[in-house]
Amino acid sequence: MKYKALLALFLLSSLVFIGPACNRASYGADDKSKIHVGIVFDIGGKDDRSFNAAAWAGVKCAEMGTLPDGRTSCGKPALDIVLRDVEPGNPTSIEPAMRAFAERGYDLIIGVGFAQAPIMELVAKDYPNLHFAIIDGVSQLPNVASLIFKEHEGSYLVGILAAKTTKTNVLGFVGGMDIPLIHRFEKGYEEGAKSINPNIQIVQNYVGVTDAAWNNPGKGKELSLAQIGKGADVIFTAAGNSGLGAFDAVEQSGTINGRATHFVIGVDSNQNMVKPGFVLTSMVKRVDNAVYDIVKLVVERKFQAGFHVFGLESDGVGYVIDQYNKDIVSPEAIQAAEEAKKKIIAGQIKVTDAMAN
Amino acid sequence: MRQILTLALVFSTIRLATPLVLAALGGLYSERSGVINIALEGLLLAGAFTAASVTYYAHSPWVGLGAAMIAGALVAYILALACIRFRADQVVTGTGINILFIGLPAVLSGALFLSSGSTPQIPKENLLPTLSGLLPGFMPHWRILTEVSVMSLLALILVLFTRYVLYRTPFGLRLRAVGENPEAADAAGVGVNRIRYVGVVLSGALAGIGGAYLSIGQSSLFTRNMAAGRGFIALAALIFGKWRPVQTMLACLLFGFADALTIQLQGVPVSTVFLRIAIAVLIFLVIWFIAHQLSFLNRSRIIELVSAAVVSVIMWRVVYAVTRGTQNVEIPVQFIQMIPYVVTIVVLAGFIGQSRAPRALGTPYQKER
Repeated sequence: MKYKALLALFLLSSLVFIGPACNRASYGADDKSKIHVGIVFDIGGKDDRSFNAAAWAGVKCAEMGTLPDGRTSCGKPALDIVLRDVEPGNPTSIEPAMRAFAERGYDLIIGVGFAQAPIMELVAKDYPNLHFAIIDGVSQLPNVASLIFKEHEGSYLVGILAAKTTKTNVLGFVGGMDIPLIHRFEKGYEEGAKSINPNIQIVQNYVGVTDAAWNNPGKGKELSLAQIGKGADVIFTAAGNSGLGAFDAVEQSGTINGRATHFVIGVDSNQNMVKPGFVLTSMVKRVDNAVYDIVKLVVERKFQAGFHVFGLESDGVGYVIDQYNKDIVSPEAIQAAEEAKKKIIAGQIKVTDAMAN
Repeated sequence: MRQILTLALVFSTIRLATPLVLAALGGLYSERSGVINIALEGLLLAGAFTAASVTYYAHSPWVGLGAAMIAGALVAYILALACIRFRADQVVTGTGINILFIGLPAVLSGALFLSSGSTPQIPKENLLPTLSGLLPGFMPHWRILTEVSVMSLLALILVLFTRYVLYRTPFGLRLRAVGENPEAADAAGVGVNRIRYVGVVLSGALAGIGGAYLSIGQSSLFTRNMAAGRGFIALAALIFGKWRPVQTMLACLLFGFADALTIQLQGVPVSTVFLRIAIAVLIFLVIWFIAHQLSFLNRSRIIELVSAAVVSVIMWRVVYAVTRGTQNVEIPVQFIQMIPYVVTIVVLAGFIGQSRAPRALGTPYQKER
């Protein structure tokens, strides 16, 4: 008897919890006249402070005209859309999430990350009247927009900054999952660094070969420590949450006369404020702008399938100098990076795209 | 080559093995009492999330550590309640807890930090302290390479303590008895289920410490699924260590070493001479093992060894022919990434020898009426 009472209590209390959740998720109350946007995140989740966070910033900006904190303006007008998001706990729940949006007739469904491209192909084929957008992936379907970034060009520039900063002439690179996309970061970084000093050595490591590699800061830190042991004093990360381990590693190595002995370069979002003083710069990939633009196109009924490529010329990739790192990066380094940027845009420097072959 | 075989590898091994040791020790208390604890992964995540959240608010890693222990113990109590009181299937319940802790931190972090599965970063001063300066001198960067957390020391102490408790105290005797032969223990007046509750709850507290090490010792925040399979590796180490404290620790160190080796080997040119020898030795061991398992050789030690030696010499010649003229080669990263998995398979399939689980492991105890 006691347990029946307990069970009843448990069920009641779970109702209390579920109640408010239901209200938030009730789709019946949605205004059907508005454009509906659904976004399915990568395994990293929307607060990885990096790639997914940038995508989240983009859709939030489109919905509210603010940054994800809901207060600060993102500098662009809100687009009057209905926004829903899903963070899949594991790769198998990506497809059901995407299909759930499609089944409800969402006007635009955004998939974040290369791993969703094949899944989106399947779903988009079944719903030819809906619009889809895949970030970092490629699809030839007539209703899918492929948002691609020239990561190698941005990485080339931070490679220059790293080469101008290093004292040991050894640079580190920590990649997340060992996939061609991440090799694109590494190759560009290496070429940029070697354009300054051909003798620079790059130590590169990958966290793993499965999607768990994006969420393993402990291993990311060990890899960074091993690279520091091999003499690296600037480490570029492209590893989602695992990259945060590299931030811990350089912080642990401390400072001499107020200047950090080792630096880390953030990726995708601006990560300069994560560990101020230890972050040389961030190779930003303006996923936020790309996402905002594609939402805007759908709202204006001007959606275009095919490739949308974001490079240096459109500020789709780049590096950040702000109040957190302006004293760390030398003016000379910035000058070298700016010159290289002009040359890349003008086509005088060709950065190898590791995914092209 | 020399940079691989350095002290850095040793310390990296210790750092990587620490959460495994703590989780495996937790598993030991539970399994020795007869309850399968496949929930170690979830318990690690519970500890990691609680430690990071509480430390963020309390500004003290020790409060966070204590909270992680309590959280681990509470979650383990759910497991105990289901498995002991209600005699549920222990593997299914454990798996349920693992799945719960993929999702629960995301929900809670949403309520606490308006995020979805990670906590804010905790400043370095509020993290668990490290034992630095153990080996002063050498080069400047040696200080951080040889740094280990106090938790590593704590793990070692707990291993020795567990060994003492298990074999030298009345409680240890009872714990082993209810795991081996609960009927006999019951007849001798031991409260079987009471001891099992204690075993499982202790298991949760220890795994909670392991989780705290992950989030506020090794890293500076909680991110979703940050245990990344360590709970399962700890379970494998527990089996490999034959459910004994010191052997289990050594097994964890082996897995930590394999992991550290993948980290150190990546992107380092290895001398071909070393590579040839390593491949020959590896093949020798594999062939020997296969020959040993095949019965048509009549289990003659000499035939086994000779056949292994012949094959490995042939392979050595092949590798020699392929790599002739080269000084150093870089091993493809895929092969290096394989090391921990190969070690796990080889260890569990082959070299484990006679590993006998506690006899009553997995069966709930019901008093005869």
